[in-house]
Formats: sequence, C-alpha cells, structure tokens
Amino acid sequence: MPEVDVLVVGAGPAGSVAALEAKRAAPELDVLLLERDRAVGAPVRCAEGVGDAGLREFADPDGAAWVARKITRVVFVAPDDTEVSVAERDVGWILDRTRFDAFLAAQAGGDGAELLVGTEAAGMTRAADGRWHVRTRGPRGEGSYRAKVVIGADGVEAMVGRWAGLDTRVPARDMESCAQYVVQGIDFDPGAIYLQFGRDIAPGGYAWIFPKAVGIANVGLGMVALRGDGRNARDYLDAWVARRYPRGARTAYTVGGVIVHTTIKRTCADGVLVAGDAAHMINPLSGGGIVNAMKAGRLAGRAAAAAIREGDTSERRLAAYHRTWMDLLGEDHLKYYRLKHALEQLDDACFNALARTVNTIPLRERTLGRIFTHALVRHPQLIPVAARFFL
Amino acid sequence: MRHGRAGEVAVVNLAVCDRCGLCLPLCPPEAIHLQLDELVVDPMTCTGCRKCVAPCPVGALSMAYA
Repeated sequence: MPEVDVLVVGAGPAGSVAALEAKRAAPELDVLLLERDRAVGAPVRCAEGVGDAGLREFADPDGAAWVARKITRVVFVAPDDTEVSVAERDVGWILDRTRFDAFLAAQAGGDGAELLVGTEAAGMTRAADGRWHVRTRGPRGEGSYRAKVVIGADGVEAMVGRWAGLDTRVPARDMESCAQYVVQGIDFDPGAIYLQFGRDIAPGGYAWIFPKAVGIANVGLGMVALRGDGRNARDYLDAWVARRYPRGARTAYTVGGVIVHTTIKRTCADGVLVAGDAAHMINPLSGGGIVNAMKAGRLAGRAAAAAIREGDTSERRLAAYHRTWMDLLGEDHLKYYRLKHALEQLDDACFNALARTVNTIPLRERTLGRIFTHALVRHPQLIPVAARFFL
Repeated sequence: MRHGRAGEVAVVNLAVCDRCGLCLPLCPPEAIHLQLDELVVDPMTCTGCRKCVAPCPVGALSMAYA
C-alpha cells in the first residue's frame, strides 16, 4: 500500500493551500492532494466574490488571469428596491474560480505536492499503528493509501470528518440553499456587487449580482428553506431574475449549499484535521468562505507538518490547530451568527426604512460607524440587534 | 435499523439532482451518499425525517413508500 505523510482530500482553496503549506513547512514530507472531479475548480459552485485584504494574504490579484472583475462598490438593495451604496474603495474581487482553484493547486504541485484528479476518497479506517488507511476510487480503479495525517477539505459533504468521528452534521435552519445563473446582456455597474434582502426574495438569506464582465454577472441567491413558502431556491431565483432581468440570457446554472453555522466543536481527531466548508468555517452572515478556507488550510497544513516532524499526530497535539483557528476567526463567526439571527427578526418594512435613513447620509460620510449611529437613533428597534452582536 | 413514518423514505430524482452535496450533512442518520458522482439514499438507514426534502435547491428529493 503506497504511503504518504499528508493526504489532503479536496483540491479547493482549503485543500490546495493546506497541501502547499505542509510541503513548504516540511519539504521532506510526501503530500498527496486528491480531487474527485476530473478538473480542479469545476464545476463552479460559488458566487466567486472575495475581499481584497484576505485574498492578498495568498495571491496578488493585480493583472492575474484568475480574476474576473475588481469591485469598488457595494450596493445594498432593500426589499422595495431602494439602493444604498456603502463603500467606495478597494472592496474586493470577483474570481474566475475554475482558474483560481487550478492556480492554487498548481502552486501546491510546484512546491512538490502530488495532485490526483478524478480520484475520490471512498472511506478510511485507522490501523493499529495509528496510520489512516484511505480507500480511493479513480480512473484506474480502486486504490488505497496509508497516511500519517489526513486533512479533510472536502467541502459541504465533509465525509473525512464523519469517517474520523467528528460531528459535521448541519441543522436545516443553518443551511442556505443556493441557486445561481450566469446572466448575460444585462445592465448594472460592473464595478459593484449588489445584495438584495427580502422575505419574498430570499428568506433567511439574500440575492446577489456579482459581475464577471461588463453585462455579464453571477446572479443568484441563498435562502433558508425552513423560512420559505415551500418553493425551492431555484423557484425563488427564477422569480427574482424574471423580475429584474426579463431580457437577460441565462447561460449557465449551478446550485449548492452554504453552511451558515459556526465552526464545528472538534476540527481534529487523531491524525485528522478538517478545514474550510467541511468544518463549517464560513462567515454565517455573508456566506463567504473562500478566504476562510485558505486561512484554515494554511493552519492545517502547518499543523500537520509540525506534528509529523515531532512524531506526534494525536488529537491532543493537533488541537492547537483548533484553538488557533478559533482565535483567528472562529470566535468572530459566533458573533456573526448571533447577528444573523437577530437580523432575521426584522421585517421588510424595517429594512426599507433603514435604507432610506442611510441614504440621508452623504455618500462620502457613509462610514460604517456613522451608519450604525444613525440607524440606532432613527430605528430604536435595532438596539437589541446591535446589543446581541456586541455581547 | 429503523424505518420512516408509514414506511416512507427519501428518494432522489437523478434527472433533477445536480450532485451538489447539500443534503449529505442535513441527514441525521447519514443515509445519503455521493457514490461515483451519483446521489444514493440508503432506504434501510433513512428514517423518513424529511429534513433533506425542502432544502434541496432543485427539488430533487421527495418521500416515497419503500
């Protein structure tokens, strides 16, 4: 049975960064990166937006082939279509995930990690010597590997975590059901992202327009089915697109789940680390997970490398990974989770009124702090919401 | 092994399913798997709780008598 030091399951942002960081931290280690799909980065199940600062920790977006658009403006759209611009600076980027994920995987490969596409992990068991035996299925049939540490970066399915005995299940109220079209031939500001809220538009979530090019955008939404009226995410999206862009051509379609929960209680077991969506490391308010996944992947890759070098891959040794993640972002996600649930108590009329209040502040003075103060003075019903965020 | 209410279990319409994997972590008894890019519900493990049905973005899951 082939033997590796680190076996990473899933070549998304978490897995590729984990593989390359493990290899950089300990070049003598054998690192294997498995990707179930036949191409890294495809199919795209993502709105493809990332913040500028977080992205720059890992890659330089200026002039990169894996960037679709630079974003300099965020437009919040109230349920009654009142638009509120709130930022005018280097906000972020819309990626081309097919190219971006391949770029990250190629970096891992360049650092000496081995990449196998079209190969899925089918199960794993722990042997008496402490190694994990991972069964695989690929183009050449079934195989198996022995690994000192397995990093589960396998996304929403989170099978590695499950096989290791971690609880990666999600209550239905914390699962956003998402659907998205690529719509062409539509009119919007290609330097802005648009986020629209509303009980009839995307209950428990929001609808988005993320530009890919002039006249072309990812148009999608995420909603919590338990808060809906029985229609599924695609039904809600069809209604929204038909209203906003009746003449747009829908040239691509994707669906998926975004876990809007908080980090799972245990992100490691003996010889196992889980990172990214698989560990629910998603900002539960925004649904953003790409930068979180890369940050977690970096921590996981380094933790695996250090543990193997020391000859101790026990859960006790690996638990430092969990604590570091919680300090870095996990604790923040607990606050965002509370805020999300507080905001869900507000009705559409409140959001409409809030949008008008914010629009009375001149755009240049529209800092978050000023919006916040204004909002609390004019809309005292928001005070408990704010309190829940800060407590 | 437990069976669902009135013997109902989740079934997947593979013509509609997009293999996104959203339903896997929703299933309390872990009866749903993606095998060789095909969604499979194990009728012997499914308890008929319906937690996977409404969240499916495309309505690919429904209940049927086993």
